[in-house]
Amino acid sequence: MAPELEVHFMANRVVLLLFSTVFLSACAGPMGGGSGQAPPGGQQAPSAVKPMVIAVATEPSTLDAQAVIDRNSRVVSGNIFENLLDRDTQARIVPALAQRYENVDPTTWRFELRRDVRFQNGEPFNAEAAAFSVNRILDKDYKTQRTSYLENLLGARVIDDYTVDVLTDGLNAVLPVQMTQLAMVPPKASVERDFGQNPVGTGPYRFVSWDRGREIKLAANDDYWGTRPTIKEASIRVIPDAQTQISALQVGEVDIVLDLLPEQAQLAPRSLSTLSTDFSYIAFNTRKQEMTDPRVRVAMNLAVDKDTLAKTIYLGQGKPNDAQHLAPGMVGYNPNLRPYPYDPARARQLLQDAGFATGFALTLHAPIGRYLKGEETSEYIAAQLNEVGIRARPELMEWNAYRDAGRIPGDRPGAFDLKYGWNSNEWFDASRIVAHVTCDGTSSKFCNPRIDQLMDGAVKTLDPRARDQMYQQVWGILNEDPYSIYLLQQNLVYGVTTRVEWQPRTDDEYRLSEMKLTS
Amino acid sequence: MASNLALFTAARLRDGVVTLVLVTLVIFLLGHVVGNPAQVMAPVDAKPEDIARLAAQLGLDRPLPERLVSYFGGLLRGDFGTSLWQDRPALTVVLEALPATILLTLAGLVVAGLLGTILGMLAGALPDSPLDRVANFVSVAALSVPHFWLGLLLIVVFAVQLRAVPTSGFTSWQSLILPVATLGLVHGARVFQLVRSATFEEMTKPYTMVARSKGLPERIVLWKHVLRNTGVVIATTIGWEYVRMMGGAAFTIEVVFAWPGIGLLTITAASRQDFPVLQAAVIIAGAFVIATNLLVDLLYGLFDTRLRAA
Repeated sequence: MAPELEVHFMANRVVLLLFSTVFLSACAGPMGGGSGQAPPGGQQAPSAVKPMVIAVATEPSTLDAQAVIDRNSRVVSGNIFENLLDRDTQARIVPALAQRYENVDPTTWRFELRRDVRFQNGEPFNAEAAAFSVNRILDKDYKTQRTSYLENLLGARVIDDYTVDVLTDGLNAVLPVQMTQLAMVPPKASVERDFGQNPVGTGPYRFVSWDRGREIKLAANDDYWGTRPTIKEASIRVIPDAQTQISALQVGEVDIVLDLLPEQAQLAPRSLSTLSTDFSYIAFNTRKQEMTDPRVRVAMNLAVDKDTLAKTIYLGQGKPNDAQHLAPGMVGYNPNLRPYPYDPARARQLLQDAGFATGFALTLHAPIGRYLKGEETSEYIAAQLNEVGIRARPELMEWNAYRDAGRIPGDRPGAFDLKYGWNSNEWFDASRIVAHVTCDGTSSKFCNPRIDQLMDGAVKTLDPRARDQMYQQVWGILNEDPYSIYLLQQNLVYGVTTRVEWQPRTDDEYRLSEMKLTS
Repeated sequence: MASNLALFTAARLRDGVVTLVLVTLVIFLLGHVVGNPAQVMAPVDAKPEDIARLAAQLGLDRPLPERLVSYFGGLLRGDFGTSLWQDRPALTVVLEALPATILLTLAGLVVAGLLGTILGMLAGALPDSPLDRVANFVSVAALSVPHFWLGLLLIVVFAVQLRAVPTSGFTSWQSLILPVATLGLVHGARVFQLVRSATFEEMTKPYTMVARSKGLPERIVLWKHVLRNTGVVIATTIGWEYVRMMGGAAFTIEVVFAWPGIGLLTITAASRQDFPVLQAAVIIAGAFVIATNLLVDLLYGLFDTRLRAA
């Protein structure tokens, strides 16, 4: 055979071989319209229903519920652990492991515990376990991210087998809220070094396995004291890329995607959304000379079209908040307030009255990749401010740099003029905002002594009505002397497969026991 | 001859160890010059005392030289520190993730090497043929698009539309198909280009004419004689592509495909400022790459005696 022909012939064979290899390996996947996924190790799932799979973007660091607050960890630990009190699906505080509670004196709260509860490893749940749990998280040597949730807690002591006293440092009206966020842990198992990788709680689901980087498996707790959940098995899978999450959802490899972008909602088989406890804002540095005048800050609130922001950038997933970081139903919500109207003409007038007819320049700090559409929102707000003469310039920064810059005092170089952020009020209580609006609050660059007085007064009473009134007054004042540009109450958006029946909670908790699978 | 090879090996080994030590030092210093992990781990509104307490708990308040010395001392004992986020030995965390990356990158390298070498040699031997034109076009396309985009595209076509393979994760051997295909295409493209031009050049050299005039079939000329000479180019390219793969594509591919390897671990550790895990990951991965290159160097030494004198 002529040399060139011989090589051609070989080339054709090679190409044919390559093509068939690719084709055959693609077909080697399981037949039929299934998800294309072989069960690992060839074993079959025991129940007929495929386990519920939830996709998260980052792996939890530890499953010790007392140590972490990030959502990816709570998706798992929230199903394994329980607290003395809980919130129902309407966000009302209800009994959980404690059946009732009362103040025996202003700084002592007495909890009467359920008597029919065991930890998943057999240890009894009783006053000793409850006191142990409270004291464990308060221990100076215990590493937890929840330190800001534990203010004014002193400790707990056993009164009898099923009665425990929780002690506060002075009056602490939000103690019941704190008890909805303090997990009960088993005294013996929790001192083990690997408790964070082998969690044990009292909840409706128990930990089965953790395949690092891949998935965490849970199974229904057959000895659970409450209503047995309908979903028998569940797993949490780590899928960092948003597009890959959608693909996995579309083929049914996962049932719920937690971090759906608004524009991806139509790609999911179904999308669910709920108003959340996240309120977005642009904080003012009132130490900066141009922003000491409240008229300037009101003007900036009038200069921003929040309806358009919600409709275009968030595709309707969110709505303007009522000029406060609270929603109806939360303690301190002021029902007389409404969002500032969009009125650039009046904004310009106010700026002129305040002596800034020619405007001024400001920088707007915003973190990259932290808040949904935060970058776009910052650009949008800056553009709107520019329209009324305020030359705002967005400065997008990496998260850690943004946090560090946020801690620079207002009168020092490098401090922000404006800062975009979200305030998460998972306490449903106005006291949560204190760090942002008091004169020496850690996140605050704002000072109004009248507000400090009211915030102080509100923590010195246990009377819920008095507290509510005082906080309402705070927001009334903050309406005339704004500490930030009030933006939206954001939505949480999820992608789900058609077999999931679930009403998402506003408090960003994920209870498998509140979900059903229809196939 | 044998002692020549031994000297060559010893020299390369020494170079490898020195590189590894320098890499470790640089990473350690970089990690401690930027940021404060305690600030990252604490909630946004935590008080300075809370942050200071967390920092002390994590041992971040000791002076830098002291931490450097104790760190190197620990390394020699096999102690890479404790992960700030997972509260487990950093070495354990990294070693758990390493096998998945090795599997992925070696499989990707094999595919890239085979595709690039076979098609490259055929294209070099048959310039301007349909095979050459198509393969050239595909390789340029593969080199031009971003890796992650290609990966996502393959997921959408083969996993979502055709439901032939899993979308992501490492659940079965089929999970390897798409990520390996992505790596194979991207890195195979460069191997192809280099092998193609090397082969083309070899085919014009006099010895091929001599071989043909001796009556040897074309395929022997190509796969026996020319291959031996392009072998150095192929080995170099594959070794170099492996370094590039570990340093870049492996990260993006692991993120796109949720592949539980070192790339994904490193990105997560970086965003959480988990220094011990970051350092351990870079050292272990770096050691692996250096060892691979050492192996490639030794293979050269075996093939090409000219290089041993260096």
